Order: sequence, then structure tokens, then C-alpha cells
Amino acid sequence: MKPKPDFQQLRQRIAAQERRALESWPPVSLGASALDHKLPGGGLAAGALHEFLPATPGDIAALAGFSLGVLAQILRMHAGFVLLALPSFHALREGAFYPVGLTALGCDPDRLVQLRAPKGESVLWAMEEGLANPALAAVVGVLPGNDRAYDFTASRRLAMRAAASGVTALLIRSQRAPGDATAAQTRWSIAAAPSEARVWAGGRMPGLGAPQWQVELTKSKSGALGEWRVRWDDETFSFRLAAALADRAPVRGSVRGSDRASVAVSNMPRRWVAAS
Amino acid sequence: MDRQGQRITAVNAAADKLGFYPGMPLADARAIYPSLIVKPADHQGDHATLVRLALWCQRYSPHTRIDAPDGLAIDSTGCAHLFGGEAMMLKIIARRLQAFGLTVRLAAAPTIGAAFALARHAPGALTIVTDETLHNHLAPLPVAALRLEEPVVAALKKLGLKNIRDLLGKPRAPLVARFGSALVERLDQAFGREAESFSPLSPPPSYRAEQRFVEPLTTIAAIECAVDRLANDLADMLIKAGKGARQVTLSLFRVDGWSQRLDVQTSALALSRDAAHLARLLSERLDAIKDQTGFGFEAATLDAFRVEKYFSNQSVLKVAGEAQESPDDLARLLDRLANRFGADNVMRFAPVPSYIPERSVQITSALQSSPQDDSRHDWKAHARMLQGGDFIGRPVLMFASPEPVTTLAEVPDGPPIRFKWRRVSHRITKADGPERIAPEWWRMNAEESRQTRDYYRVEDEAGRRFWLYRDGLHEREGDTPRWFIHGVFA
Repeated sequence: MKPKPDFQQLRQRIAAQERRALESWPPVSLGASALDHKLPGGGLAAGALHEFLPATPGDIAALAGFSLGVLAQILRMHAGFVLLALPSFHALREGAFYPVGLTALGCDPDRLVQLRAPKGESVLWAMEEGLANPALAAVVGVLPGNDRAYDFTASRRLAMRAAASGVTALLIRSQRAPGDATAAQTRWSIAAAPSEARVWAGGRMPGLGAPQWQVELTKSKSGALGEWRVRWDDETFSFRLAAALADRAPVRGSVRGSDRASVAVSNMPRRWVAAS
Repeated sequence: MDRQGQRITAVNAAADKLGFYPGMPLADARAIYPSLIVKPADHQGDHATLVRLALWCQRYSPHTRIDAPDGLAIDSTGCAHLFGGEAMMLKIIARRLQAFGLTVRLAAAPTIGAAFALARHAPGALTIVTDETLHNHLAPLPVAALRLEEPVVAALKKLGLKNIRDLLGKPRAPLVARFGSALVERLDQAFGREAESFSPLSPPPSYRAEQRFVEPLTTIAAIECAVDRLANDLADMLIKAGKGARQVTLSLFRVDGWSQRLDVQTSALALSRDAAHLARLLSERLDAIKDQTGFGFEAATLDAFRVEKYFSNQSVLKVAGEAQESPDDLARLLDRLANRFGADNVMRFAPVPSYIPERSVQITSALQSSPQDDSRHDWKAHARMLQGGDFIGRPVLMFASPEPVTTLAEVPDGPPIRFKWRRVSHRITKADGPERIAPEWWRMNAEESRQTRDYYRVEDEAGRRFWLYRDGLHEREGDTPRWFIHGVFA
């Protein structure tokens, strides 16, 4: 009789060769099913490294917004704190994370510990330390794109630490460096996208809608890539796919404007009367 | 240099032999001995060196201070036996200081005043006085030994009261009337009739572990070993006493009279009782002194400061309803981050009830674990207060100082239709606003703008979202409206 193949043992051997932790952490759903379906297990892998890059240098704010939205999804599923490490010079140039703004993206500032590091290298050091600590829910690092400290080896170290502890690592890089090898589970390219206009009766200009992003999955260990227009849903604090024609002409008399107070304004020619 | 021209402030032994003395006009000295070597006095440098020496002397006692301009004082109470008695200790100190190339005069006495007087005016370079011999030793010294001000000393001399002996039998009242209470007070302090307080250079530690090395340590690896042992000793002491410390200081004493202090702070008392954690924190700091080992370190002390009673159930950084998290692990991480990057750079946030965007958030060091830090803040309510019903009324990234932008507006009191920031022009397609934020009149100061700001959320063609404001109202007299960008949205 032929011996039964021991699949468990086989898996272990493969995992050992791939230096991948056997325990698998439940993936984090991003909210938009089209995105989740492309990702193995139906969501963003926890206990892994994910890289976020801007599509153009002007998209840093969009990049920060989208990655923090992703962080909010992780925070919802995992208890514990988040270590947010960024170089101090980066905060001066691109702006510092503003806790009130983070609240709107579903990140509770109470669960954040921010580290202002002197340089990119120290951000990576802090990330590694944070990833070794299972008390954390996630570790977010911000790196200037031209930082030499971050290479394939560095990404491998982060990925392995994340796999061992189950802490998810998000790396926000502020410059696009195409083609460089990475051990990250996924790499995303984020661009700003026009929001759906909100029209007020009599307004000079339409108002802003929920944030939208043009999101491209440029690298994924599972192989499936894709590009989507994603919208922030402020009621569930998660992502949704934007309507196909997100930037269509605004519709007059939107629902949101219905209960607003209205006043009449006219540009009457001014006249003065002088008396003595 | 003073009004009377340049004067000598210090002389070396050779100059002393030729009869030069401090206070002598330089011109006179040069006239007597033309080839005199003169160097400008460096009072600041002298002071710094003195402080360094005083710190180095902490190896003999934790209480040391400087007696400017040229002396040190050590409170050696209960320390002498560690060095084989007082005589032996003085000999050791003298030998070490002489090895640094210093001329040393030492005295040990039951009072600060007596030790001061004897170290400067006793006939021998090394004097030890006990309670019984105090009187005999002090009596023949000049009155200048009493730490009096210059005019008092001069006046006493004029009256023929040259030595301390001359003052001893005199009635006190006339002395006070003539020279003020300082003279009598100094006299009493020298003889131990009045108490004198001693304020050491650095506060004495509550607990101290120390180690002396047979051979100076020159490698970081060797120092790490020593630090391991010190951390073990200190943690043992703290555990036995039922205490925990918030600050731990490692002092390393180099052979050539230089000492190095490394402070580490712990966010939780429990962690100071964990020898491995302490050793790790300290070892990570040793990198900084890698290039300063020189001839090697011969002694090390590990001091515990800010010691408090330790309750074993102390917890840190709690988040309500989360039991599985181990707060200890997080505190450990915070300690290490804080010690590597500075406590101020490990930050947590707290809401502040202020509508001014830059004031509505307070940043605190994560190491300050006061009770308020443990409580949860209601950030959602805070955001609602600030931005009203809007779901995203505040930017995700905010600039520390708003940057000016050039704008083109259709109407003066509306949002701009175009603006230029960092040399890039943006055409605005969507805008929300204005949100009017008036300055807080009760907090206004000269540096800040006193103008009301109108904030607009705008979006350009590419979908980039910005937070612009006009500083100053258009229609108000005296206001000069200018546009700034304060942040960017997701």
C-alpha cells in the first residue's frame, strides 16, 4: 500500500524553506469587496509588510490618507497600540499627522504612539522593535523615498518580524522608486482623485465629497494586481468602490442640501447719502 | 583685567618662589621678571574643569560640590571606611589629583568651615582634624580662612585682629555691630556651633550600586558586562526595599579624571526592578561613548533617582476593555524608544478644548504616565466640537507653521479660484467654507496674528485637497488679508 502523503508535514517543510511563519493571522477586510477579492484570504494580510507609494510627488496627502484608512481597518480588528514612526524633517516638510484629522479617518489617536526619529534608518530600527512586540496592533513607518537605508534586506527583516509576531507593518514611502525588489506582501500606488461634488443651492462652487483615491495594487505576493477608484465611507469608516462615473456632472439639489438654511444675496450697487 | 590694569589671577610654583602673588599688577611682575610667561585667565574653563572634577569626586561620596573659584568640597560622612580610613582616603584623593597634574591641599574636618579653612591655610598640605583638635588647628589661622568678604578681612586686619585666635575671646555684640552678623556666623560654623547646609552638585541618589575595576575598561563589551552586574545589584536593592525608580543614572569614571553620565528613564516603576531591561537600556546608550573610552574607565556607579514605593499591580497605558494586552511589553518598548530618541520624541496626543487648530491638540511625552494618560479621551466628541457636523473638517497632515500662498479669487470674500503653493499652481474646482475661527483674545501675544481666519477646504482638478485660510477679514478696517495653506486632506 502506498503511504499517504502527509500534507501537514509537506506544508511545514515548504514554510520552513520559505521562512514563513506557520501561524496565519486573519486578514483585514478593507471594506470594498473588489479589493478584498484580489487579496489572498479576502483581505489585507495581517502580520505582513505592506508598502504604500504615491503615484506622483503631489499625492503625499492622498497617500497618507489612504494608508491611515487602511490602519483604521486594522485597528478595528486588533486590540493594542500603533507605533507611528516618522523622520522629524519629513514632518516639517510634508506636515505632521493631525490627530483630529485622523479621528475622521477612523483612527483613535488614543491608541497612537508617535515617534519622531532623526532619520530614515532610525524609523526602520523603531519599526523592527515595534514589530517584535505583540502588544501592538500595527506599526506604521514613514520613509523619505530616496532613503538608502531601505532596501530588499530591510524589507525582508520587517516582513519576517511581522510574520513572527502577527503585528502588521505599513510603510509609507514618500517617493516613487519603481522596480526595486521588496519582500513586502503588497505594494500600493496611491493617487488623489476628485471627490463627488456636493452642490449647494446658490453656491459659487460645489463642495467637497468624501475623499476618493485612485488605488493601484502594483505588487502582490499572491500575484493578482488591479486598479480601482476607491471612496471613503464616513459612516462605516471603511473603503467602498467609487461609482463608475465618480466625476460626473453634479446633480442639482442634492439631498444633503435640502435642510440647509438659505438666504438671498444680491449685488446691489452701493449708494451713500451724506448729511450735514 | 580691571580698572587698575591687568592683574595676576594665578601663579605656578616657580612664579610663587620668585615672589609673585595673585592680585599683583602684571606690569610690576613684568618689570621684575621680563621673561615671565603670561597666559590670559580662562574663568569659564576653570569653572567647567572644577565641575568636572567635582563630578569625578563623586566616586568618593555622592555629595560633592565646587567651592569657586578653586576648591571642591566632599561630604565624606560614612564614606571613609570604604577607602581604609580617613587618612588613607585623603592620601588616595591627593595621589589621584596630583596624577592629573594638580597641586592639591586637602583637609578633613568635622565642619565645612573648618575643612575649608584648613585646606587653604593650614601649614601642611594634608590635614586631618577631629572634634578635639579642631580648636587648636583653627586658632592660628588667618581670619581670611573664615570665608569672609574682602572688606571685612581688611577691616579686621586694620584693627590688629589677624588670626582666628584673636576673635575667639572677644564679646560678640560689638563684633556684630561693627562687622555684621556674617563674621560671627562664619566663626560659629567653623567651630560647629551653628549648622551649615551642604547643597551638592547633583542630588544624591536614593540607591547606588558601584563597581571598581582592577584594570581600566577600554572596550564597550567589557563595560556592558559591568553594566549588567550593576543593573543586577541595583534591581536587587530596589526589590528588597520594595521600591521602584523612574530615573537611573550610570556614571563612568575615567582614569584621567573625566566622568561620563548616562541617564535613562523608565515609564513604569516595575521596569526599574527588571535588571535585564535596565541593562539593555543602558547598553543601547553606550554607543554614544564609544569614542571616549580613552585610557579606560576605572569605576562605575549606577544610581537610582526619583524612587517611589512600588505597588505590584501598577499598570500603564491602559485601554479600556482590553485584557489580553500586556502593558509591560509596551512600556518596555516605549522606554527603549525614549532612551534612544529622547523622551520628547515619543509622543502621545490629548485633546485640548480650543478652536484654534494648532492649539486643539496637546502633545505629551509617552513616558509621563500620570493618571490622566490612562483615561480615554473622547476624540470623536472633540472632532465634533471643532468641525461641527462635517465628517472631514480637519486635515490629515498639518504644517507646523502655515505657508503663504498666492491666490486669485473671483470675489474678495469668497474662496480663491486658483492658488500657487510651492511653485505649483492649482485650479480649484470645489470648495467648502468659510469656517471662521477668531483668535482667542485672552491668549493673544505679540508674535501671533491677531486676525480672524476664514478657513476653506478646497479641491483642485486632480483631486488634491487643501486647507486654506485667509488671515484677516476683507471688510474689516486695519486687517490685511493674506492667504495661507495650513494643511492637506486625505
